[in-house]
Amino acid sequence: MEIKVLGMGCPKCKRLEEVTREAVKEAGVEAHIVHVTDMAGIMAYPIMSTPGLVIDEELKCSGRLPRKEEIVAWVKGA
Amino acid sequence: MANTILSLLQSGLGNLAAYLAAHVLLCLLPAFFVAGALTALVPKEAVTRYLGRSAPKVISYPAAAFGGFVLAVCSCTIMPLFAGIYRKGAGLGPAIAFLFVGPAINILALAYTGVALGMDIAVARIILSAVFGIGIGLIMAIIFRKDDAAHESEASNGVFAASAKVPVGVWVFLGLLIALLIAGTLQVGLLTNHYAELNVPIGGTDRFQAALNRLVPFDAARGEEGVTVQGAVLIVLLALIGVSAWFGLNKVDEGYNRWTWVALALIALTLVLAAVRMIPGAESLRIQLTGKMFAVVLAMAGIWLAARRYFDEYQLQEWLWETWRFVKQIFPLLIVGVFAVGVIRVFIKPEWIEALAGSNTVLANLVGVLFGVFMYFPTLVEVPIANMFLGLGMHRGPLLAYLMADPELSLQSILITAGIIGRLKAWTYVAWVALFSTLAGLLYGAWVDGASPWLILLALVAGIAILTLALRWVGARQAKQSAT
Repeated sequence: MEIKVLGMGCPKCKRLEEVTREAVKEAGVEAHIVHVTDMAGIMAYPIMSTPGLVIDEELKCSGRLPRKEEIVAWVKGA
Repeated sequence: MANTILSLLQSGLGNLAAYLAAHVLLCLLPAFFVAGALTALVPKEAVTRYLGRSAPKVISYPAAAFGGFVLAVCSCTIMPLFAGIYRKGAGLGPAIAFLFVGPAINILALAYTGVALGMDIAVARIILSAVFGIGIGLIMAIIFRKDDAAHESEASNGVFAASAKVPVGVWVFLGLLIALLIAGTLQVGLLTNHYAELNVPIGGTDRFQAALNRLVPFDAARGEEGVTVQGAVLIVLLALIGVSAWFGLNKVDEGYNRWTWVALALIALTLVLAAVRMIPGAESLRIQLTGKMFAVVLAMAGIWLAARRYFDEYQLQEWLWETWRFVKQIFPLLIVGVFAVGVIRVFIKPEWIEALAGSNTVLANLVGVLFGVFMYFPTLVEVPIANMFLGLGMHRGPLLAYLMADPELSLQSILITAGIIGRLKAWTYVAWVALFSTLAGLLYGAWVDGASPWLILLALVAGIAILTLALRWVGARQAKQSAT
């Protein structure tokens, strides 16, 4: 599974990466997590504000920090 | 030599202590909570849906200008949003309006500017930057009309289809937080009068005050402030809040712990203690319970009730997390900045400032703008710097010109902007900002000097009318050209 965290390195984006790593561990799935920091890479997805979370090329949420349980559910559902 | 360094350190620390004690608490502490609430609780779609391609200009420009209040509480969110509005949304014009107004309109800058420099400057900064931001946006959209049309095909409307309403609870909550901010900072009789008095039998506070005055000597004529006994107490409390918040709020999104409650209790106590008036004496410390204190207590009780009633646990945790994140990000830089300002102040002679920007001239306003462009200060540090200039005799007109230009333009942000919209557009933008900031300073300066507000309004309206006509003419000519 490919997970992308979109964000230019703001504290919220870093926190999202942390939470995502924890969520993946909790869900017990294999996932490759990358943090996309360049503007072109971020703008390739339909988002207006960072942070964004992309799981298998599908944008799950943007502009907010989702709960860990939410991410676990997305990861399991994918 | 050792003496010089000592006096520099003393000046820096004195400035810092005076700032922490006087301005920061009652304005910045609640302002950080408002900023946190705006970021965590207001869904961004509530504003961004007005910024789509299909939104009419009458809506998208003002929405972009004022959306900064909700969306861009700190400069790190401005760039992604700017790119988003430009590439996927309403286009170059509204994106530029957003970029220009955002830094001026955010709640932290607003509260801090108002308390440290005067509400008149804060209000002038909002109004003038909103009007001019929209103006610059329109100009840029006309100048680069063709490129923008080419962009149209790339834009996706899907992002903006999502609509979201701001729940009633969020309005109530924000209202109460802003009430707390206003209660703490507004200087009116009702709030500053005291209605009861306590005598705390702590002896020798007058000697403590005398010692503080020796430790932090100040010269009121140069716009310096000393530290009071109350200020010293508040500084200690601030330090305690810092420590407890570090343990209690760093990972508050995972749940509360004991430190969280300690931090929150300390914050409440600090706000209350900052709102009373303390008069040191030989036998006892007199504490006057001001209207301000009652208002602060009421507002905090309201915030507590609203928080319990309208939000679930996670939303409140997110709110606290965002608030603490702002503090962590901005406060250390602010402390360093204020200290540095205290040190630098020793070197700057008032005569220089008087000569350069002591009166409201075109040159003085230009100097203010240029200083703003070539000096980069982190968020909010522009305020103590402006305060220093004010103390050294700068006219309020050029001061506003500086305040308009500094957060909007810095070499760093120009380079990032150029990366998003291209070098030509970025430098055209810079030129317009420099021009309009100078103009803003001149207009405001004229008002301060006593020119009739009607005359200034007339000048403003006439200027906008000429600009609009010129733009329409250019637009019509271009349309004709592309038709043939």
